[in-house]
Amino acid sequence: MNYNNYDTSYNSYGGGGGGGGGGFIPGDGSQTSPSNKRDYSQDTLRPVTIKQLLDAQEVGQEFKVDGAVVSQLTFVGQIRNIAMYATNATYRLDDGTGSIEVKQLIDADAVDQPSANKGKLVENMYCRAWGKLKSFNAKKHVYASVLRPIEDYNEISFHLLQATFVHLYHTRGPPGAAGSGGGAVTNGGQGQQGNMGGGGAGDLSSYNAVAKKVYNYLHNAEQSNEGLHQQTIAAALGVDTAEVARAGDDLLAGGLIYTTVDDQTWAVLEAD
Amino acid sequence: METPQTPRILAPHLNAFQHRIVRMVGKVVQLRGDMAIIDAGGNVDVILNRDAHLQVNHAVEVIGKVDQNLAIKVQAATDFGTNIDYAAANAVVEATHRHKAIFYDAD
Repeated sequence: MNYNNYDTSYNSYGGGGGGGGGGFIPGDGSQTSPSNKRDYSQDTLRPVTIKQLLDAQEVGQEFKVDGAVVSQLTFVGQIRNIAMYATNATYRLDDGTGSIEVKQLIDADAVDQPSANKGKLVENMYCRAWGKLKSFNAKKHVYASVLRPIEDYNEISFHLLQATFVHLYHTRGPPGAAGSGGGAVTNGGQGQQGNMGGGGAGDLSSYNAVAKKVYNYLHNAEQSNEGLHQQTIAAALGVDTAEVARAGDDLLAGGLIYTTVDDQTWAVLEAD
Repeated sequence: METPQTPRILAPHLNAFQHRIVRMVGKVVQLRGDMAIIDAGGNVDVILNRDAHLQVNHAVEVIGKVDQNLAIKVQAATDFGTNIDYAAANAVVEATHRHKAIFYDAD
């Protein structure tokens, strides 16, 4: 019995089609004009340090950090002060790089707001904020949509490292693009023995394997501005000193390294 | 109410940051009355204040001033628990000094 009813109602629903809902005519009236439609494609969520926020340049209605406009941002800080007002709660957050006021609006109408956070934020606690940067009377604050206590303190390390990464991305370009001589060359120079290609700085394609290793070691290892002695290089690479000496001669001839305190101590010739 | 910048450092940097207020994350090695030793890339003496409650083997973040003996006079201490990744915390210190622009104003 029930089954039949179900069938019947299903049919009538199917037959109703487009005209069923009162007054809704698809394809018309719901299109807003282009000027009202907000372009979300440029919005970003950037991890930042509070110092970056304080140093941000104001450009009209927007802010630029590291030369790129910020819309949403996130950061982690320790609560230094809590002030409750009628319409908002103002927290002063400090992450070691600076401090800033973070306002969280209290929605008086939302009675059943998930108040999980409200009770837990206390002074000296670390928390993560997500929000937007605004300024008022030349003073900057953040209007936070979310403020969550930190439970795993590794999140602080993670955030600061992520902020560093994004900062470098915006100031230096994506990783690998501005290829450091050593890194890029190791990949390109493999398996190109016997090439007669001339040596531009950092081009190791015409050198043998030992020379490449010596050069890369010299380029990457910790050293004073006197460079490294060939014995040190030989020991570190596990290569015969004679081989290292020969390789050194090749690199010297190619103008990739130069001798410093004596003929056996070399440093990489870096073109500034 | 402005708070001072507190660059993150490890034991080897103490010399360069004398008389400045710094932030250090380390493992509590020893407690002795109002002094403690924490391991932050090397052992560091910290002079505790009344509110600091450290636990041995826990990670702690101390904020304080570096005195002339390269000890830190603690202004605030936060217990960071036992599952801190010290490699990550040390990497943050390295990043702080390599890329100062976003961390502190060097003077």
